[in-house]
Amino acid sequence: MESSDEELCRAVAERTPGAFDLLVERYQERAYRIAWSIVRDPEEAKDCSQDAFIRLHEAAGSFAGQSKFSTWFYRILVNCCLDRQRRRRGWRRLVGWHDRRDDDPDEPDPVEQAPAPFADPADALDTERRMSRVWALVSELSPQQRAAVTLSCREGLATKDIAAVLNLSEATVRVHLHRALATLRRRLGDEA
Amino acid sequence: MKDVHVDDLLVDHVRGDLDVAERDRVGAHLAVCAECRATRERFAALLTELARTVPAPPPIHWGAYRAELRERLARRRGQAGPVWRWLVQPAPALVAAALVVALVVAGLPGTPPGPGVPDPLALDNTILASRLDMIARLDVVQRLDLLEDFNVINELDQLPEPSKS
Repeated sequence: MESSDEELCRAVAERTPGAFDLLVERYQERAYRIAWSIVRDPEEAKDCSQDAFIRLHEAAGSFAGQSKFSTWFYRILVNCCLDRQRRRRGWRRLVGWHDRRDDDPDEPDPVEQAPAPFADPADALDTERRMSRVWALVSELSPQQRAAVTLSCREGLATKDIAAVLNLSEATVRVHLHRALATLRRRLGDEA
Repeated sequence: MKDVHVDDLLVDHVRGDLDVAERDRVGAHLAVCAECRATRERFAALLTELARTVPAPPPIHWGAYRAELRERLARRRGQAGPVWRWLVQPAPALVAAALVVALVVAGLPGTPPGPGVPDPLALDNTILASRLDMIARLDVVQRLDLLEDFNVINELDQLPEPSKS
């Protein structure tokens, strides 16, 4: 019988040969896809997803089994993506933005306010071909809103799970989703 | 009492992701609020569009991806760990320290070589001498590959016949 993700994670913690490879094969496509949805760059998405697997390998012992493995792993993954974006824009904080201490959606995170990362025009053209207009607009949302929309619309996660992945309250996730969709509607309306 | 809008619950209402009490509250509000009903309709259309047109990321070679991941993991394992690791693993540390001390002592000027330790200079001379004959016949050595090919050609008739299946 096929091992569950949770069993495999425990096997990774015990350094059972092959367990890590099996988990990687199971999650590599989802990890890369989610990372790409957030960072919007194939190379960075590859690096972020690999970072997440490395963290998984090192922290498998800390998986308590209180949540689903997928929720726990997505949280690692999204943190890797958001950390990378934060590092990229770290200098902005140094020039005046204060650190965000709570998850109050009325206190916007500087990272959320920042535009989507610069993309090479050739890559952008290729990406544009792959995406409908609405998803192109999603890529202009803040990283956390992008993550919420991706996890919701693409991965089909419930609000409770998105909240666990993003380490936010359910109410905050709802605000993010509402604002993301309202922004998309407004921009689509502006274009029409 | 004026009913408050339920903006933040509309997305979850469309997705069917509310508990019974919340669903009832939103339902009751929608029945009397045309503005929220219109917003809900717009969100429903947008969510359908998002679900219908999910983009695919650029393709990736998964074999190369896993190989790179394994390499990165091996590199991390190979990196020097924290200092306390040397304290809990004293044997390798002691062996390394002893080797360093031995090399330093052997390299000190004026230290006479022990009776069992060969003179490094003598060793170099021996290696050089063994190569002198080869250097004297350098032209033969340089064409060795070619000569081997000639030998094979000369002895083609002596080669075993290929087995017939």
